[in-house]
Amino acid sequence: MDWTTSPESPRPPPSARPPVPDRRPPIPVKIVIAGGFGVGKTTAVAAISEIPVLTTEAAMTEVAAEIDRTGHTPAKTVTTVALDFGRITIDSEIKLYIFGTPGQDRFGFMWRDLTEGALGALVIVDTRRLNDCYPAVDYFEKVGLPFVVAVNLFDGKLDHDLADVRWALAIGGSTPVITFDARARHSVRDALVAVLRRALIETTPGSAHSGR
Amino acid sequence: MTGEDASGPTGAGQSWQPDPTRLPPYLLTGGRARPIDDNLEIEAQVMTTVAGRGELPRLHFEIRDIVALCAEPHAVAEVAVRLGMHLGVARVLVGDLVATGHLTVRRPELDPTMRAQIIERVIRGLDNLA
Repeated sequence: MDWTTSPESPRPPPSARPPVPDRRPPIPVKIVIAGGFGVGKTTAVAAISEIPVLTTEAAMTEVAAEIDRTGHTPAKTVTTVALDFGRITIDSEIKLYIFGTPGQDRFGFMWRDLTEGALGALVIVDTRRLNDCYPAVDYFEKVGLPFVVAVNLFDGKLDHDLADVRWALAIGGSTPVITFDARARHSVRDALVAVLRRALIETTPGSAHSGR
Repeated sequence: MTGEDASGPTGAGQSWQPDPTRLPPYLLTGGRARPIDDNLEIEAQVMTTVAGRGELPRLHFEIRDIVALCAEPHAVAEVAVRLGMHLGVARVLVGDLVATGHLTVRRPELDPTMRAQIIERVIRGLDNLA
């Protein structure tokens, strides 16, 4: 990398320069994609992102549920989890980031970090492993983050009726349950739009969840 | 409840091995584990200020890398990826650089009316995707 002062941008003496206002960074928006391990989260991010999926290492602190067998204090461990994300430039002023949650169903403090400020979430479901998405559904309901449940059609067919999925997950009637294909760009796009339409209803001033 | 524990009886906290070729991440942050603004969102956009650019010749190491990188706006998470830092480290350093005026930050809009307008724009943008 070149850390020397760029030669092609000579700077006039300060006195000759009018004060340069700082450019304003674009507005960041974020949608979270959650679900169990191997359900298609990173596939969905890759399908829609304008850049190759980026992975950042993040520390997740968790307090062990059981007493440490060597002592009497609860063990506190720090695990490193990989966070996958992609980006879509919406227009000159808005950048949309799509963050996939780490695969495991353990919820450290990172979940607050991940969802803070998010517009909404897409919970991807594999109907053969419905249980895997419970923690995400529970969490989003608890924090009041608008979400849509999307059944990933791995082999192009639906094994369960969507009404059955809704019943099994015990989600309210206002939360959409849809099908999609995590590999198909248009399908992922439509799923994200469903999340945003849901978020729009929740965000409308006066609605139950508009405040934070 | 916590699933299978693959880290063994010592737990994940003890299994970390120091790599002598690399600085422990938190040495970079002077031992602080939390940024000054510890709510800085991972998608928050940071960009080098005019003043920050002027300071560039006097900056060193990671601080310099961040100020140079952010000549164009980047999300905090992108700073971490581009410079090979842990997300937590990038957050601390970026938070400091915002506090010192080297970087300017734009965070997610929280005002419901503004958010609704932004969501509508994002929907239109996605609808227009090829």
